[in-house]
Amino acid sequence: MSDEKHITEIEDDLAARPYEPAVSPPTPPVDPYCYLGATEMPEPLPDGEAMSTFKNWCRANSLWIMAYGTGCGAIELRPLLTSRFDVTRFGMAPRPTPRQSNVLVIGGYLSLKTLKRVIRAYEQMPEPKWVVALGSCTINGGMYWDSYYTINRLDLYLPVDVYVSGCMPRPEAVIAGFQRLMEKIKAEEANGWNEYRKNIERYKANQKRVITDWDMPDYNW
Amino acid sequence: MKSVVEGLRQHARVLGDREQRADLHLVEVEFGSLRAALEWLKNETGHVQLTLLSIVDWLEDGEFELSYLVTDPEAHATLIVGTRIPRDGVAVPTVWDLWPQAVTYEQEITEMFGVSFDDSPRSGVPFILESWSAAPPMRRDFDTLAYSREHYEDLPGRSSIDARTRVGQETGEKGYTLAGGDAQAGDAGRSEEHE
Repeated sequence: MSDEKHITEIEDDLAARPYEPAVSPPTPPVDPYCYLGATEMPEPLPDGEAMSTFKNWCRANSLWIMAYGTGCGAIELRPLLTSRFDVTRFGMAPRPTPRQSNVLVIGGYLSLKTLKRVIRAYEQMPEPKWVVALGSCTINGGMYWDSYYTINRLDLYLPVDVYVSGCMPRPEAVIAGFQRLMEKIKAEEANGWNEYRKNIERYKANQKRVITDWDMPDYNW
Repeated sequence: MKSVVEGLRQHARVLGDREQRADLHLVEVEFGSLRAALEWLKNETGHVQLTLLSIVDWLEDGEFELSYLVTDPEAHATLIVGTRIPRDGVAVPTVWDLWPQAVTYEQEITEMFGVSFDDSPRSGVPFILESWSAAPPMRRDFDTLAYSREHYEDLPGRSSIDARTRVGQETGEKGYTLAGGDAQAGDAGRSEEHE
């Protein structure tokens, strides 16, 4: 009982402390592409940029995921889409076909057999389109680094916009990756699909080096 | 089960048998009488179900070991019929006509180990691997690391850290013990070993 301080002793202790000025909460950064919730008047944008920022804002907030599960990371997409993590609040939704989607989530290791289908699906997606790669397998092979039928680096074969590290990344990490993708889209930095167009010869050479039975069109429109 | 093995001796050359459990018995037969043994088990005893067909690579002996698990559903008893075959140049008789599901097993073994089966309907048809031209990858003399290094590029700068070395570097100790044990005694014992 002797440990308990009387209320007056606590007040004395508090009074003896040096004065610390109250810290005002930091002002939230103003998102130049989303005026909802901003506290300041918006600055006018240069002519021509206004429409493109609006388009990028729309694109960033309507990411539709191609529902193609590769590797073990696809199991993390189920909790992501259901009520606990619920990425629908970011405007994201799973789509059944490549023609209706613009985000390709590579969920982990890619065998050559899967890589062939992934390339087909990626090329059929309408532009602009983005690739989010999950897990260490897509970065450097992961635990399949010495496997005989899995590729080690995804970025040799498809342009990757955002990597999410982990084995496997938790849904929180995947959401952070998607938010990074949204930032990059708004800042016009997520141009992997255009890099694929620019370097199509290099990508095709890499793809055909590992896929020896290339029995599909050179580009799957 | 003993009676089945005794009966099997009448119809096939049995090299050895061993009881693993009351309901699991291992029999090794000579390769030449494998087909006769399986036919007799399927037709004359209750072992009507092929549960599994698997293969083991005994590289040091230069042999493969084929294992046919045949089950008697009424007696709840399984017999593992094993046979040793040379690693190359032997065609195993198919059991497709006895158990149709053996086609898939035989197809997979052909692809992964390079063991061919006579008259198997899907022999030579790829099972999992597409456009595979190298050696069968599940043979133990197939070097997957060398194949991977040759065909799939690595990201440069890959390094690995041994946990034991790293903890020693951070704590300045020569050895460490896992949490939960007797740390004092363990540290003393390890440091003595290292010194």
